[in-house]
Amino acid sequence: MKSVPELLIVDDSPADVGLVREALAGSAHHPQINSVEDGEEALTFLDRRKKYINALRPDLIILDLNLPRRDGQAVLAAIKAAPALCRIPVVIFSTSQLRKDILRSYELGANCYVSKPGNLKDFFLAIQAIEEFWFGFVNLPPRGE
Amino acid sequence: MSSAGTGLASQTSATRIPESQDNPRPNTKLQVLVVEDNANDATLMLHGLSREGFDLSTTVVQTAAQFRQRLKETLPDIILADYNLGEWTGVEALEILRRSDLDIPVVMVTGALGDVAAVQCIKQGATDYVLKDGLARLPGAIRHALSEKQERTLRHQVEKDLARKVDELARSNADLEQFAYVASHDLQEPLRMVVAYTQLLSERYRGKLDENADKFLGYATEGAMRMQVLIQDLLSFSRVGRNGFKCVSVDCNAVVDEILQSLATAIQESGAVVNHAALPTVWVDRTQVTQIFQNLIANAVKFRGKEPPVISVRAEKANQQWLFEVSDNGIGVAPENAENIFVIFQRLHTRAEYAGNGIGLAICKKIIERYGGKIWIESQPGSGSTFKFTLPAPAPDDKSGVKP
Amino acid sequence: MNPTEVDILLVDDSQEDVDLTLHALRSDNLANRIFVAHDGEEALDFLFCTGPHANRSFDHPPKLVLLDLKLPKVDGMQVLEQVKGDPRTRIIPVVLLTSSREERDRVSGYNLGVNSYLQKPVAFDDFRKMVKLAGLYWLLTNQPPVTNGAIAAVKEGQ
Repeated sequence: MKSVPELLIVDDSPADVGLVREALAGSAHHPQINSVEDGEEALTFLDRRKKYINALRPDLIILDLNLPRRDGQAVLAAIKAAPALCRIPVVIFSTSQLRKDILRSYELGANCYVSKPGNLKDFFLAIQAIEEFWFGFVNLPPRGE
Repeated sequence: MSSAGTGLASQTSATRIPESQDNPRPNTKLQVLVVEDNANDATLMLHGLSREGFDLSTTVVQTAAQFRQRLKETLPDIILADYNLGEWTGVEALEILRRSDLDIPVVMVTGALGDVAAVQCIKQGATDYVLKDGLARLPGAIRHALSEKQERTLRHQVEKDLARKVDELARSNADLEQFAYVASHDLQEPLRMVVAYTQLLSERYRGKLDENADKFLGYATEGAMRMQVLIQDLLSFSRVGRNGFKCVSVDCNAVVDEILQSLATAIQESGAVVNHAALPTVWVDRTQVTQIFQNLIANAVKFRGKEPPVISVRAEKANQQWLFEVSDNGIGVAPENAENIFVIFQRLHTRAEYAGNGIGLAICKKIIERYGGKIWIESQPGSGSTFKFTLPAPAPDDKSGVKP
Repeated sequence: MNPTEVDILLVDDSQEDVDLTLHALRSDNLANRIFVAHDGEEALDFLFCTGPHANRSFDHPPKLVLLDLKLPKVDGMQVLEQVKGDPRTRIIPVVLLTSSREERDRVSGYNLGVNSYLQKPVAFDDFRKMVKLAGLYWLLTNQPPVTNGAIAAVKEGQ
């Protein structure tokens, strides 16, 4: 039996996190959505330290690049360097369309890069496409210890 | 001023006042530095000058060391130097002057001088030379040298001012473009939030609040979305000046064909017919030349009259340039508006009549002018428009790809 | 086909699966420029611009590699390891599309940096649906890493 998929969103804009929750409200997979607002918090969550001691490992991470206290690419690098975390798929979800940001993200091991659309409809479609692909079709890595 | 045979040490007949070359003291004596090892000759030189009405303050030096020292202390307005100075020569004095980078006029006052030596002096920087038995020429030579120096100083000043102004202007332009870029770039983020949530509100609560709420939300959403487009347009516009661009060989036929593909829907809906004669290959940044044609052709389709648009694109060589034409049978433009249609955000129609922000032509103009070309319109209301623009045709071997 | 402009590299030795995949990808006009390699060696030649593919350039990688695991000559896992182990090719999105249900394949794949792991469904319809969705996701939703010589430009900047 498939367990509830765990989704971690790392984004400093509560407004954007709100939009993601709205977009996934009707999802058939009923993902459990957790969110953190900055890079340090993301790593604390993933390492299960402090208040996150009982957190479950996410099955998918949606990561913004523009974050306070450790930017997205630094978080990405840390995740992909940690043996316990490196298999977790990371989707970069950012307004930046700069070639260098896209390229650097792939170099650091991002699984894919999706541009945050400017209007509601496309934003929802993008998030729903991400969720549908990763939770509906992909064979995710085992969640691990 | 007195002298006492040889062994004459450096002498001054006036108080030394520190000065700089850039700040000549007005209304004061002419500072003369005489480089002469023979005291009598020195006296003779200067005597003649006072008689001619020069108000002098003079110093005489004999050796190279004294010369160097004197230059360190005070800068003269003019130097009179002999050629033969015993253990050294006037040419060495000129050399010393040159190396110290001082622009002080020098008149050689010398005994018989061979042509070769004379030429050498001039080459080394002497303004003139006067023979000791022809001292009548000396005042004229001095006046000439001084006036030349003055002209030089004035010209340098003007050049410096100009360079500084050009610099300021460039910096100011760069600042403005940077501002436009940053403002439009940073404005997009909070605006994105407003657009997304007004849209969400609109959808979520449609029909659930009173009827005014739907209307209000509609206006808010529309306004926010329009602002989003405006800012993106402004960003595009500011990017034209901001980015460096890479010139390559671009086949305009291929560019136009691509554009026709991307406008396929609009062309089909309007029944437009677009044809282009054989277009040249130009040496430009591909993205920018695409923007030019895209804006002109899309406008020709958009600003159509009652008939389906018929649009043609042509080019011909004129002098060292390519003259392109995009003409249509659309609504045309009145002559009094021929210039301000190229101004950013200027629109001639309401939004209900024609969509758009009025940036397309402004972008075309900015790009074309960056290449040193011109763009203009020939049109009458009701009889279509012809947009003409020029792009440089580089010489066949000039493929440096350097920014114009 | 111009070797520089391939959207998808499909690496699979089963002609049946290749046909199904091509059909699914082309139906939405998703990708017309698909190159098929039938074994791991050819896949490596293609991606590393060697052998019969020496005229290809690292500046124009495919936007997506669909990679089976069981391949002749060089198997999929080795291809993956080489591609993800080399800075010139590491950024290319590679999706394992395999019938293997082994957990250790999944773990190895993700350890080596595969972008995603898809199990080929048994039923034709499900297979087609999966390929279509994967194509849509990796070619439209996703931003591919490279267009037009970006690698060279960035390397210069480094």
